[in-house]
Amino acid sequence: MKFTRQFSRFACAAALAALTPLLHSQETVKVGVLHSLSGTMAISETSLRDVLLFTFDEINAKGGVLGKKIEPVVVDGASNWPLFAEKAKQLLEQDKVSVTFGCWTSVSRKSVLPVFESNKGLLFYPVQYEGEEMSPNIMYTAEAVNQQATPAVDYMLEKGFKKFYLLGSDYVYPQTTNLVLLEYLLSKGVPLENIGGGFKKDESGKIISAGKYTPFGHTDYQQIVSEIKQYAAGGDTCVISTLNGDTNVPFFKEYAAAGLTAETCPVVSFSISEDEFRGLPAKQLVGQLGCWTYFQSIKSDANEKFITDFEAWLAKSDVPGIVKDGRVTCSPMVLSYVGVYLWKAAVEKAGTFEVEKVIAELEKGISFEGPAGTVTSQKNHHVTKNVFIGETKANGQFKILKSYDNVYGEPFLKGTFKTK
Amino acid sequence: MNKAWFFSIMAALSFSSLSWAQEAKSVRAIIAEAVVLTEDSDAQVKLVNSLTGMTDPELEPLLDAWKGGSIYLVEGADDKYIAVTLAGDPDATKKETALRLDTKEPLKDAQGTVVRVAPARAEIAETDSSIRRAMKSLLDLSKLTAPNAKDRMLAITQMGMERDVAKLPILEERLKVETDSSVKRAIQEAIALTQLRSPDKAVRLAGCTSLAEIHPLSAKDSLESVVKEALKAGDKELLIAAKKALEAVEAHRSIVNFLGTLFRGLSLGSVLLVVAIGLAITFGLMGVINMAHGELIAVGAYTTYVVQCLFAEGLALSPFGMKLSLPGMNASGWLYEMYFVIALPMAFIMAALVGLALERGVIRFLYRRPLESLLATWGVSLVLQQLFRLVFGSNNVQVNSPSWLSDNWTINDVIFGWNRVFVIGFAILIVFGTWALLSKTPLGLLIRAVMQNRNMAACLGVRTERVNMMTFGFGSGLAGLAGAFLSQIGNVGPSLGQNYIVDAFMTVVVGGVGSLIGTVASAIGIGVVDQSLQQILGNPVLGKILVLGAIILFLQWRPAGLFATKTRSLES
Repeated sequence: MKFTRQFSRFACAAALAALTPLLHSQETVKVGVLHSLSGTMAISETSLRDVLLFTFDEINAKGGVLGKKIEPVVVDGASNWPLFAEKAKQLLEQDKVSVTFGCWTSVSRKSVLPVFESNKGLLFYPVQYEGEEMSPNIMYTAEAVNQQATPAVDYMLEKGFKKFYLLGSDYVYPQTTNLVLLEYLLSKGVPLENIGGGFKKDESGKIISAGKYTPFGHTDYQQIVSEIKQYAAGGDTCVISTLNGDTNVPFFKEYAAAGLTAETCPVVSFSISEDEFRGLPAKQLVGQLGCWTYFQSIKSDANEKFITDFEAWLAKSDVPGIVKDGRVTCSPMVLSYVGVYLWKAAVEKAGTFEVEKVIAELEKGISFEGPAGTVTSQKNHHVTKNVFIGETKANGQFKILKSYDNVYGEPFLKGTFKTK
Repeated sequence: MNKAWFFSIMAALSFSSLSWAQEAKSVRAIIAEAVVLTEDSDAQVKLVNSLTGMTDPELEPLLDAWKGGSIYLVEGADDKYIAVTLAGDPDATKKETALRLDTKEPLKDAQGTVVRVAPARAEIAETDSSIRRAMKSLLDLSKLTAPNAKDRMLAITQMGMERDVAKLPILEERLKVETDSSVKRAIQEAIALTQLRSPDKAVRLAGCTSLAEIHPLSAKDSLESVVKEALKAGDKELLIAAKKALEAVEAHRSIVNFLGTLFRGLSLGSVLLVVAIGLAITFGLMGVINMAHGELIAVGAYTTYVVQCLFAEGLALSPFGMKLSLPGMNASGWLYEMYFVIALPMAFIMAALVGLALERGVIRFLYRRPLESLLATWGVSLVLQQLFRLVFGSNNVQVNSPSWLSDNWTINDVIFGWNRVFVIGFAILIVFGTWALLSKTPLGLLIRAVMQNRNMAACLGVRTERVNMMTFGFGSGLAGLAGAFLSQIGNVGPSLGQNYIVDAFMTVVVGGVGSLIGTVASAIGIGVVDQSLQQILGNPVLGKILVLGAIILFLQWRPAGLFATKTRSLES
């Protein structure tokens, strides 16, 4: 009697002990977050981690995905591209995450791509990029070139600008984007001499680089700005800028000092969003243009709810070292948010977390009503979404000037424009 | 009193005033109509353009108010916005009486009470660049006869840009009465450029001839297209005239580029000089390898930021989890822009204090041990960088340039940016000040004595410890001044100093360690060579690499730099 009681107690305990991890694993689903939380990219990428954690909490509060709570596995890529590949490997092989949200720079994406392909993982990539890529294991919620650069050029052509000066930071995104833009401008009837910044040609005379490039952290823009001033002397000129982050400050200060303004020669920037404005002298950028698929100033109930919910989450968040004051929302943040919901919808439609089936659902087309309107996943792993042209205001926000509805994301643009 | 009756009269009144406004279309009414169309900027532009030719003294102030954000939108009864200005009579809750923009009468709500609005909370009527451009061309046109030559100049340039053949007579009329020579030139330019658009060949020829005479840079595009057209049409006369004009423009451009490059080189050299002069004291004179020099520059830049915030809305910091908020003066206008004048001495003092602490805490134990001082100060530099991160955050902070530093003089098409002119003057002042301190003051004498022979100076009763301290503090203060200036042309962030420390050491070494004049010469030399190479190669990176290569070769040839200090000491 005594023995059986003891035995049953032991059995119960053993069963419980065996069940607990099982129960636990049934309750949660592991999801990877792969961003630089230290190093040069941390300034931008930390915001994406914050918004992802916020999204997971929002989904968990409503019961999770397929009845399972999301358990984030946050790893730090430390702005170090080989480390990104290692961390991706860890997420896929060790933590066995169902999906990963992450990467900012193109080089980090290129370095994790083979890891995701060989492990049959799934990565959601949220930041505008140069295109010319389509991996079966990556979903690009990011702006493709035709969702940012070409609509902006269309807008400028529509406003009567005839000359375009191309300027960018020296790495893959600006170089590729400007080559696509060169082709696009030529196809729109803009002659080659009306495209400024200089060209580099290979031996056969083919243009391999268009525009002026400066390294990261460049501070002396005197020469370039005076060149722009001479170039713009004839009027109807605008600057297409793919300068990144920090270098915008010395560029725009020099620009203002040379007497160039948004009225005489506007600058269209593709890399300055509300989040970057936190470190820029906004007053010197008033009237300059930006193009994204989301602006914080969008007036819609969904956007207002998103902003207030995010702020409320920030206020009570206990993530160590999180910045709580003066936070804004921007396109890469919203595209991260939207990515999580697209994944959730695809998983629920597939009824499983299996990557192949989830991707199959995403390819069939999943829609989500986001803060910037409807986004729909496409067969080519990009998303259809609205595009907005905005003008900067002194408070670091954008006034929306024009919008293009439901633009289909198209990664392979090079060679698709017929030069006249 | 019958309320319904009252309302119907009110409605009738407001309706009649509205219909009257539409008939007469006063400037005020049109602007009020345009302001509320926030969703349709094309319609706004149309309305603004319809103001062309109206002569109303209210036109300019109203447009300026709109552009300047002092017109507000208040939601009316039927969800439509009403444009208002504020009467400027704030009460205890900071609310002001709203005046209707179209009638200047106080705005009343449905109950008939006057609406009061708090400007901080109200919605500002925004503008965008297409409206501002329309406003600008409108105002410029009205400024064609302005008493101020600069205003007229702007108006002319604007009209010249439009190249509207219909406006030719206005310009020609103006040319006859214009007295200011530069404005006269601008009118000639505008006329000539507009003439190129004319269908009449004789007029185009005249345009080409006068362009060849005044050779403006802006003519390049138009002349090139004329050359193309002439080639197509086989018009030899026009082709020759246009080509001649184009040649004149190109010749002018090369002169402008040459002078511009010279000026830019001089200004870059001045930046290098300002950055390096502190190091010329601490490294050049004292022989201390101070790797934290860059962070002393950053101290100056952050001081400028703090002073700017104190002049504006104040500053909230959270160092080490503590909440620290400093109240601001909420200054605006010229008073706010004077912040930089206060920031300069503050930057000097703050950096000098940090430098003194560094000297007392670390460096004084390490004189004559350059390697150890290199390592120790490198550590200090890392600590300071982390400190900036903890206090000010890892993002860059915003430092706005005062307006008296962000404009330019354009003389004969060469741009002289005020910030660049300022840095040249600033560099001259600093060099002169340093030279005067070293050679004209008792302290300078002591510094030179100690640096030449420490033991002898000590024997003669000089308190060498104290002189060291003062010298190091002075060098650090100069670094702070450099930081204050750099905040006007670039980023202010924790790693600000790192970006300039290499340039600073390079300048001092090339100039010759211990020689002030050498530092000046090398800074200006490097600046001019760098800018010329950028101009010639059209590539900012390649220029920098070539300069660095040249410096290495130069140091192989003259290891002691441009101006080697002569010494009798046995070790050298």
